[in-house]
Amino acid sequence: MKANKLFILLPVLSLLLTGCSGATFDYKDHLKDYVFQMDYHQNFNILQLTDIHWSMNSSTHESKIYMDKVLKETDRHIKELQGNNAKIDLVELTGDMFMLSNAYHVSSFVDYFEAKASEYGFIYTAIWGNHDRHGIYNPNWLGEQFKNAPHCYYYEPEDNLYGRSNFMINLVKGNEVKWQIANLDSGASFSETSISPFRDYDYIRKDQTDWWLKEHTLVGESVPGIAYYHIPQDENTTLYNNRASYKNKFFKLERFADNGNEAYASDFLDVAKEHNLKGAFMGHAHNNDWTVDWDGLVVGLGVKTGQELYYAHIDPNSTDAAMKEGLASVGINEKFDLIGAALVTITDSEDNILGKFDLEHLYYNERTSGDFVRWVKW
Amino acid sequence: MNKYFNKDSFICSSCDKKQKLQSLVISLVLIVLFIFASFTFFNAVYAITDSLGAVVSGSIDVAIKEITRSFPIVMSMFMSIWGVLLAHGLFRNVNEERRNKSIKKNAITLLVFAGVNLLFIIIGLAIGKFRSLVEGSPSPLYPLDSILFSLVYVALGIFGLVYLKKLQDKIPYVVPSRGPIVTKARGLYCTFMSFWLLVVLFSFSCFWLGLFIYDFRHEYFFYGFAFLLVCFVNVVFLGSWEFYYNELKEENKKAFLLPIAIAALICSAISIVLYMVGLGTNMDAPSNGGFGILPVAFAASVNIATLIIVFTPLIVSVVALIKALVYRKKANKE
Repeated sequence: MKANKLFILLPVLSLLLTGCSGATFDYKDHLKDYVFQMDYHQNFNILQLTDIHWSMNSSTHESKIYMDKVLKETDRHIKELQGNNAKIDLVELTGDMFMLSNAYHVSSFVDYFEAKASEYGFIYTAIWGNHDRHGIYNPNWLGEQFKNAPHCYYYEPEDNLYGRSNFMINLVKGNEVKWQIANLDSGASFSETSISPFRDYDYIRKDQTDWWLKEHTLVGESVPGIAYYHIPQDENTTLYNNRASYKNKFFKLERFADNGNEAYASDFLDVAKEHNLKGAFMGHAHNNDWTVDWDGLVVGLGVKTGQELYYAHIDPNSTDAAMKEGLASVGINEKFDLIGAALVTITDSEDNILGKFDLEHLYYNERTSGDFVRWVKW
Repeated sequence: MNKYFNKDSFICSSCDKKQKLQSLVISLVLIVLFIFASFTFFNAVYAITDSLGAVVSGSIDVAIKEITRSFPIVMSMFMSIWGVLLAHGLFRNVNEERRNKSIKKNAITLLVFAGVNLLFIIIGLAIGKFRSLVEGSPSPLYPLDSILFSLVYVALGIFGLVYLKKLQDKIPYVVPSRGPIVTKARGLYCTFMSFWLLVVLFSFSCFWLGLFIYDFRHEYFFYGFAFLLVCFVNVVFLGSWEFYYNELKEENKKAFLLPIAIAALICSAISIVLYMVGLGTNMDAPSNGGFGILPVAFAASVNIATLIIVFTPLIVSVVALIKALVYRKKANKE
């Protein structure tokens, strides 16, 4: 073969080989592979950080200073309430850690959380958001960074389950699973047809619901669960529209940014609600941290973490009805930005699992005259 | 077929050895500067898109904070694009006077962009906008790398002016290598050409980066292949226009344009069909396989970047076809 023909064929062949490599396994046959374990104890603390959004424009230096303060304040708060031995046990990074960023951002981010995990003694997880696929790096490489990070729980197999990464964290005491924490990839966006220029926000697919159900059945129907993912599903809007019927709290200042299309509505919450799911927490819409109790299932958005991209400026003088409603619910009567974190504390004693947890939203704003810090209980 | 590649069909057939060497060197410099421009443009699109996202979401304060921090990234794009224009002015010109005017204008513009960028970073360091010369993000050496980049382009701008004053008599002028400057609908022509250049700058980065950042796992493979093909077609079209069509003698340009336009039309149609088929194999592929090469699609609702990249070759082919038919009509009248 002539050298010039070989020159053309080599890249094509390598692409084909890369494209066809990798065995895909059936998730139904490997349910145990998707499971991590952590020791359960009363007052198990899960800190949700969401939509950090490191981008081409970010000063990661400033962002780290902000996150340092949030982690320090959370640690202080936990110790104040639960004693000096208490700590953040698990940090859930619920998507959009990055948007329009590059490999340098990713490496710095993982290094930062590794350092903080060592300092505070927590495990962290990375959940895909729509924008985490949106950078100058291969999505597989991003997954590898989390997979190889010693303090990170992350699983991304070549399977037939939708999403890049779905996995469980079973909280165990002895051999018994006490609680189950699901981490789901709610995708990014998709085209309805190949000729459509429009794209819909993604949703939790039927096979993911089936996977969750199978994993839950494996540990037992009585085990309560919490699910973390990025994109709100159709239920948020439905529940908000009927909020008079349910206990609800916090702010809803923009649409939830799900696809809003009945044909692409997820069945996940409908199914999981009937199988002891107690909480479902997500991010995505930064101007919302609205939370609702849907007949025993608490569905809520976390508080956007950090000052990247956009966030709501809360103003008691605003005439906006939704802002007034939110302000009344949290009992704050001064200006602040809707950024911070959310904390779930599982309060069940180790021997008596009732499916109870506390939820608090932290609003943390850096200010030259002294930082604004408010914890608001659910 | 031979007539399309016969050396007598090209303007350089009448050049001497020194002129041919000069033309080759400038072509290579132009390609290097084009690659710089492509990557800086891609970075700038990232920075601007992120800030636009903040504006659209109502956080104008965040947008201003972000874009001022990324100002050197945006300026790097302007510098590198004007570097391309400077080199292009040396390469393609109607006559010596026009060439000198073009070099002077573009060299001064380049120096202004580089100067403004250097000044901005110095002020930024003085007022604490940048905490240090190597604060980091988006690269470990930011903003020092932007200072070094500016200095390279200051040198290029100074070279342009020195060339104009001292070297132009020593280096032979390459024969007229472009058609007469368009006078009718010049605004429309310039807008179209600028748009085409920007799309191809973006497509080149998409293609090159895509080879590394696209997830070519089997479920996304065909879409990825089709998308990279469309990007490649964009680059090939501009390359062919610049290094083939514009190298032709004026009479050959008119004679060859119709078959070239038909070939381009077939090529672009095939690439569009392949793209649609690729997308049809996996509707999730654009966002799951490598959304990073489509930054303008950040809003998720309309995939603007893809539409532009996919349909630009078709638009270019149709414009070429119309132009060829006009040439033919005029020739028939004569």
